[in-house]
Amino acid sequence: MNDQEIIEKIKAGLKDKALDIQNPAPRRIFFRTDKVHLRETACFLKEALGCAYLATISGVDKGENFEIVYHFANQSACINLRTKTPRNLPHIPSICPEIPGAVLYERELQDMFGLVVDGIPDPRPLILPDDWPQNNFPLRKDWKFERPPEKIPGGK
Amino acid sequence: MEFTVPIGPQHPALKEPISLRMTFEGEVIKKADVRLGYNHRGMEKLAEEKTFIQNLYLTERICGICSHSHTTCFAQGVEKLMEIEAPRRGLYIRTLTAELERVHSHLLWLGVAGHEAGFDTFFMYTWRDREVVMDILEALSGNRVHYSINTIGGVRRDIDEVQRKKILDSLGLLIKRTNYYTGIGVNEPTFVARIAGVGKLTRETGIALCAVGPTIRASGVVQDVRKDDPYAVYAELPFDVCTADSCDVLGRVVVRVKELLESYKMIEYLLKNLPAGPISVKAPRKAKENEVVSRYEAPRGENMHYIKSNGSDKPERLKVRAPTLANYPATLEMLKEGFIADIPLIFAAIDPCICCAERTVQMVDARSGEEKILTLAELRRYSIDYYKKNPIRKEAEWPF
Repeated sequence: MNDQEIIEKIKAGLKDKALDIQNPAPRRIFFRTDKVHLRETACFLKEALGCAYLATISGVDKGENFEIVYHFANQSACINLRTKTPRNLPHIPSICPEIPGAVLYERELQDMFGLVVDGIPDPRPLILPDDWPQNNFPLRKDWKFERPPEKIPGGK
Repeated sequence: MEFTVPIGPQHPALKEPISLRMTFEGEVIKKADVRLGYNHRGMEKLAEEKTFIQNLYLTERICGICSHSHTTCFAQGVEKLMEIEAPRRGLYIRTLTAELERVHSHLLWLGVAGHEAGFDTFFMYTWRDREVVMDILEALSGNRVHYSINTIGGVRRDIDEVQRKKILDSLGLLIKRTNYYTGIGVNEPTFVARIAGVGKLTRETGIALCAVGPTIRASGVVQDVRKDDPYAVYAELPFDVCTADSCDVLGRVVVRVKELLESYKMIEYLLKNLPAGPISVKAPRKAKENEVVSRYEAPRGENMHYIKSNGSDKPERLKVRAPTLANYPATLEMLKEGFIADIPLIFAAIDPCICCAERTVQMVDARSGEEKILTLAELRRYSIDYYKKNPIRKEAEWPF
């Protein structure tokens, strides 16, 4: 399967649910979908294109929106599925029923971006410590790390 | 009666220190759970505040064993963003270092597997021979661990005729020794009986849980970024993807031994066909707004960097996915229905570098609340004693 055939298949299978199909480099395909079609699209990629392998999920803070990129791969290409969710209502559906291996990456998104993954089988924090203050999401652009002032025991 | 066994979390070796909490009945593990982040270094956040060239040195320090993997993955991504291409000689040297790194990593792992199975002679043999590769890497790059040979636009050090000859000479010894390991390590009855059938991961489960690298290849899946998505000069190298069908630790040993032999083949080809010319091109400081997905087959599996640039000299976002993270869900599956005595072996089999460090295992008796603290070394001793009492399994299949 070459890139052109994959793009044709995506166009035929997903119709107007697949937007902005791009092919910026050989074996790299990017397209966008609305988050309500996310599970359906993941299911299509797995069933019709053999992309059972999800490499990872990347989150990007774009100000008013969060962009979430799902990096799927099969033997012939890396297919990147983008979706976005507004900052004031950061909800995305879980794709774990389709791709069980996605759970760690979804937990990572919840920790680092404060997204809420609806229907995630295991919502516990993954990376951040248990005593991490609430509503602090390190990979959001407005989060800055400030080193607490050093206190010398017994000092003035 | 149920017990809970927390393993971990602290060890200095990996980007991902890990705590495993296991529930078991008698000797059999019923439930396994993972907790990460005990030493999260916040590198993805830090990378947004550093320039591309500074980030090259940051990514080098993600891992101590596959340091070249991360820099190559990052550098080839940034080269695409900056729209430059590394010269062919540079790519050859980059690939050569990558394969030498794979050899040292797999030899290290074979030793660890031997050690966890109670076969310490094997451990000492492989680690002695690993020194040969380490010496080559030191001669090539000046360093044993962080080679720093990559730069954006090529590599930093050239190879001269003396080095080329030295590597080719040492290669003969390595091939001879690896063939010996194929014989002793994979046909030695006690060793095979210990590792066959341990840590089962079926093909379907492996695919569903998105496992990568030798772990999934040992379950019979042909998945290798070097073949599927060739980067650097892999498209022109002669090599085969190594797989095994036994779906257990034995299969993972077989895959890695076969991969060693493939790597020697590639190193020989690279050195004999090394093109002349420059080793790097000058890279611009800034990259215009774009994004790139860079994939790389590290010794442990697929390594992925997603880099987004915004027109400045710093990345807007750098996402790093190291192969061990992808293998955790599969490891939890492998541990289920296994024995306590197999924990170190199964865990070592995904090659997470976790077993090089001494850690504490706390065993809690669920009924009486009695606690017993074991170090990993004691757990290893326990596992060896446990298997000494059991007869050698006769049904073990010999792979060669």
